Amino acid sequence: MAITVSTQLDLGDIQGDILFAYGNEYAFTSYLFVNLDGADGRGWVSALVDRVTTARPWPKGSDGATDKPDTTLNLAFTAAGLTALGVSQELLATFSSEFRGGMAARAAELGDVGPSAPGNWEPGLGTGAAHVLATINAKSSDLLERELTAFREHAERCATTIVNEQHAQLLDAQREHFGFSDGFGQPAIEGVSEHKSVGGGVPQPDGRWRPLAPGEFILGYEDEDSRVDPEHRLPSAPAAPLGRGGTYMVYRKLYQDVALWRETLREAARDYEGGETKLAAKIVGRWPNGTPLVTSPHEEDPAFDPTQEDSNDFRYLDNDPDGSRCPLGAHIRRTNPRDALGWEGLDEAGLLAFRHRIIRRGMPYGPPLAPDESVDDDDTDRGLVFVCFNASISRQFEAITLQWVNDGNSFHLGDDRDFLLADASASGKMTVQGHPPFFVAPQRSFVTTKGGEYLFAPGMTALAALADATESGP
Amino acid sequence: MSNTSGQAYAFLSMTPIKAGEDVRLRAYIEGLARTRPFDRLRRTHFARLVILPDWVNDPSQPKADHLTSQYLIFSATFDGPRDSYLDELGKRLAPEAKEIWGRCVGCPPSARGAPLKRYLLHNQIDIGFFVAAYPDATVETVKRVLAQRKQLADFAVRTQGLEASELRHAYQQEF
Repeated sequence: MAITVSTQLDLGDIQGDILFAYGNEYAFTSYLFVNLDGADGRGWVSALVDRVTTARPWPKGSDGATDKPDTTLNLAFTAAGLTALGVSQELLATFSSEFRGGMAARAAELGDVGPSAPGNWEPGLGTGAAHVLATINAKSSDLLERELTAFREHAERCATTIVNEQHAQLLDAQREHFGFSDGFGQPAIEGVSEHKSVGGGVPQPDGRWRPLAPGEFILGYEDEDSRVDPEHRLPSAPAAPLGRGGTYMVYRKLYQDVALWRETLREAARDYEGGETKLAAKIVGRWPNGTPLVTSPHEEDPAFDPTQEDSNDFRYLDNDPDGSRCPLGAHIRRTNPRDALGWEGLDEAGLLAFRHRIIRRGMPYGPPLAPDESVDDDDTDRGLVFVCFNASISRQFEAITLQWVNDGNSFHLGDDRDFLLADASASGKMTVQGHPPFFVAPQRSFVTTKGGEYLFAPGMTALAALADATESGP
Repeated sequence: MSNTSGQAYAFLSMTPIKAGEDVRLRAYIEGLARTRPFDRLRRTHFARLVILPDWVNDPSQPKADHLTSQYLIFSATFDGPRDSYLDELGKRLAPEAKEIWGRCVGCPPSARGAPLKRYLLHNQIDIGFFVAAYPDATVETVKRVLAQRKQLADFAVRTQGLEASELRHAYQQEF
């Protein structure tokens, strides 16, 4: 199949931190959900548009170094938010149904039940009150405070209300709260991150890799379907001008019960000959510093460097088809199966796996549970703000969650679920393949959803149209 | 060509959607994922409702080919004979059938019972190639076996690490 780049990405029209991560110098992130009822919503957006950071490369300073701003700002809207702005129902109907319905309406499908049910979510989330999500990144806590003060003052002037706010901060060594290095398994995208195709793109049966089409992540561009369509039709998107340069965004606040995680591992590892750290690695599919189990099944490679281009270069079928290195139900093998679903029959193009990729931009929140070995809960809110971008929430984020995380069928694992994220029904065990296999008994979830929203992050032209009320034409 | 595989039957019908009804029909079908009406037809392995807006045309074909209306495709795989299944569908699915086939051209006004059955039979298309996930096992059997598998998996977790003699004893107690 010949793959050609047919469109140049208009980076100045795409919001920042989607295709290219802002980077770890922005160690502080605040997520503010704003309600526009009774406010001059368009005026509020209008005053912010010029401050929204885009995907255009940062300018170089006089010393030749990249000149990044102290803070960044990005905006995304819920369906209720677009309605509150005054977007017509006719235009709104061109958005995907899962976006229009909102995340709370999908709770049963997503496994947000019991303690994770929308009725237990934080105020302002899942109720229709959250209209706009403003994401502010800052290089220091002082810079963040300065920006937050300005943001709040502007919100007050426009009579908008902040209904939920979440502040997040990088942890040491870019670990998440369970102790694992996180965030480097990102999709390689044509014209954006092609150099990361090996291990990040689409594995080919001949051993090579190729990058994904940009339209998988940014609306208004060709996706993988367009490429094999004789008419090169673009994927489904909102009507112009909202349908170009934007994308759908998923926001989830996930509480992590670190004490329970540690205690479960300690208990289970009593019967597991590999010990606690290895069992944790088996559940995740990587060692704590990110070393993949497939390439290093027995121990962590202290020299592992996720920034190296070949750091993610591994497949499952070649050297681990039965999961003896990385279990068939390990977290990273489920959420990005690479070639693990095989090349047989319908899937000879790898279609079952590569249409379900997402760009993740999450950030831990709350202080670590210290010391490292403590299994006493300190009653502190901590976890992960999970953020992802995709052109289709149902095909990408939801398919991963429903089919791969919350079910074992695709991997011939019956009822087993992703043990790391296992939902509140606690019906799934973890199977660590081996002779004999080792089972970790089902238990209540380590992770609880505390709130979430489906959002639309418009392109810059679209954002300006929303500010000027010209989204349905002049 | 066969509509059967083992004891399983595959039913397929295509009915033209009345002009202007496609948007409401689509919205209604989307909502069915929540109410799962086909659960009431216990012989159903699988049922699907699809709206076909038009043919896909390849620019290289000599003449464009378009449907004169949008079509509703209904396909279902179920246990046992067709006729009794459609009888059951006409009865147990009556509230939904009016919202589904009631929006299609030629559907009898009541959209239930024997008239609905005749309508679906009239629009049935024979299957060219039928692959059944469970050609010989009924829905009831599949559910029973799944429960057995769960019992066995739970047992395996619970008895992990036991000595052979203890394991045998536990197995005999359980099963």
